[in-house]
Amino acid sequence: MSRLMPRTAVLAGLISSVPLTGATAHCFVGGCFLPATLTVDDPCVADELSLPTIARFNTGDDPSARQTDISFEYSKRITDTFAISVGRTWTHLSQPGMPDVSGWQNWETTFKHQFLTDAQHELVISAGLAVEWGSTGSPDVGAERFSTLTPTLWIGKGFGDLPDSAGWLRAFAATAQVGYAIPTSSSTITIDPDPGDLGIEFHPQVLVYGGSLQYSMPYLKSSVVDLGLPDFINHLIPLVEASFRTPVANNAGNSFVTTGTINPGVIWVGNYVQVGIEAIIPINRASGTGVGAVAQLHIYLDDLFPTTIGKPLFGSSAPAMKPLGN
Amino acid sequence: MRRTFIPLLLPAVLLGSAAAHAHAYLDRANPRVGSAVRAAPRVVSLWFTQNLEPAFSSATIQDSAGNRVDQGRARVDGGNRAVMHVSVRPLPPGTYRVHWRVLSVDTHTTEGSFSFRVGE
Repeated sequence: MSRLMPRTAVLAGLISSVPLTGATAHCFVGGCFLPATLTVDDPCVADELSLPTIARFNTGDDPSARQTDISFEYSKRITDTFAISVGRTWTHLSQPGMPDVSGWQNWETTFKHQFLTDAQHELVISAGLAVEWGSTGSPDVGAERFSTLTPTLWIGKGFGDLPDSAGWLRAFAATAQVGYAIPTSSSTITIDPDPGDLGIEFHPQVLVYGGSLQYSMPYLKSSVVDLGLPDFINHLIPLVEASFRTPVANNAGNSFVTTGTINPGVIWVGNYVQVGIEAIIPINRASGTGVGAVAQLHIYLDDLFPTTIGKPLFGSSAPAMKPLGN
Repeated sequence: MRRTFIPLLLPAVLLGSAAAHAHAYLDRANPRVGSAVRAAPRVVSLWFTQNLEPAFSSATIQDSAGNRVDQGRARVDGGNRAVMHVSVRPLPPGTYRVHWRVLSVDTHTTEGSFSFRVGE
């Protein structure tokens, strides 16, 4: 006799607290620079390394567990507009009344094609596929035995093309990402050893979406108005990120509640690295409890090693070699 | 195998930083970005965060009607290759927009624009 297991909802809540993916690209579009964001992925391709990203928060489980994630992501351009990134997360869980557990989450790979870059309108759009490879991590920390494929669209837009009368508003930029996560297995049959019942754990298809609203102090200084602020301030990009997950199919018997977090923070942008820190604020009980935090060191390999590992494998990142001319 | 890759890469990243070059970004300008000046400048100067490749770096200046008011090719300063100068015609009061596009010495191209105003 089958029965529906609530574990799916618990795991969904657990996973929803984890950032969608480590951020990647070093992203110039026109005069706008979109930094690598911590919670959602930015819309560009680049040669970059996020190492480490450290997050600490309370999960949406009942009772809530204290989760610490340490992750990395390496992104490599294959061509000027196509990149592959590889990343993984180490997780430590402290659960009330239970022994702590640690282990690796599944490997994640993202294939991304930046198919539109409109410098004049500071608009960039990419499409790709994110893959979580099943059975490559530890089930103790929630790593699934099945893979998940997530076709995803990324969009970035700077508002520098607003008229001059918009003034300081021109230093705003926004990014968005939307994906549809499809598990390669629709369900798992489980056996409850006590009564000996069979159970079915459904693996829902999930709409994964989020974005960021940013205010670029570097852009304000170089393109709008130079206020003569301290140099440190001119390297800051305050931002708010948000990421959400909504089960939309194959979720029989479980809640379709949306989970997610709102993450206000700031990124300091240097020539070769950036450092970011954000609070993690769950939007409801199913998303977690209390306020967590995430921090990241992000390294621009394309600036550090422009002629070796920082350039695309095929083609050149250099512009067409003709004088720009007046 | 991949676990060993990252630890090996990190020291290379940090050691390599001293000799590296990055995107050229506008650091400051004269007249200052977004400013209003009483006296019309004869030259607009741009300071970048990296040295530039002169043959592939350029700037133009337009008035509010879109007419060019610069006097031709911008020149990278021979004594400081992170600085570019653009000579302009006598500027009547009004708003002017500077468009720049530069190639840093590591082959990264960046671009941007800003306005300044002549007259109070």
